[in-house]
Amino acid sequence: MKTPKTDFVEILRTLARHGVDFIVVGGVAAAMQGATIVTFDLDLVHSRTPQNVERLLKALEALEARYRTPGAENLKPSRSLLESEGRQLLTTRAGHLDLPGVIGSNRGYDELLPLSLEQEVAGTKVRVLGLEAVIETKQEAGGEKDRAMLPILRRTLEEKKRREK
Amino acid sequence: MDEKESERANLVPGDAADEPAFSEDGVDLTLIRWMLSPTPTERLEALQDVIWSIVRLRGEDTEN
Repeated sequence: MKTPKTDFVEILRTLARHGVDFIVVGGVAAAMQGATIVTFDLDLVHSRTPQNVERLLKALEALEARYRTPGAENLKPSRSLLESEGRQLLTTRAGHLDLPGVIGSNRGYDELLPLSLEQEVAGTKVRVLGLEAVIETKQEAGGEKDRAMLPILRRTLEEKKRREK
Repeated sequence: MDEKESERANLVPGDAADEPAFSEDGVDLTLIRWMLSPTPTERLEALQDVIWSIVRLRGEDTEN
């Protein structure tokens, strides 16, 4: 399988250009805050209001997003699925993009927003889930992959706090 | 402690008590310190470079 060249910055800029409300979560959020984690997909939790989903659909069209799940490779993301809590596994011209409607213990955009911080990425301001909240949601998710990340996330948080003293 | 004993005790060159190279659970702290230095954009670019290197090693890279 050919892999699209990963350009997470391009995905974030495209979403911001279309005015989409979203929060970067998961491994990329952790990496943006200094964690030495390698992940092949960008996880974003988006606001599931009809207006935001409309903007998201336009951004995903610009990114040529399609499902990457077997049997659905040519399908475009739909409004009804983006308004649901389900996890949309997409691939775009700039890399793999996952849109979980909720993460951890069913936390959606509104609940995660106060736990996020604003970071500037290549001149674009994006909301990123704080490292403590990334750790919490990974603990809540409880999967083997999530648990495997925890030692690095915790040590990164400790090191960050040590530097801030 | 003679020089050889000292070398054996200090298995990681440069590892100091106040800034150890590894945490007790085996996490490489030198890489974390390195990743905390750049800006978020630079960290994201570093991640993308690593991903792309792995993709190329797997022979899954595209022509473009």
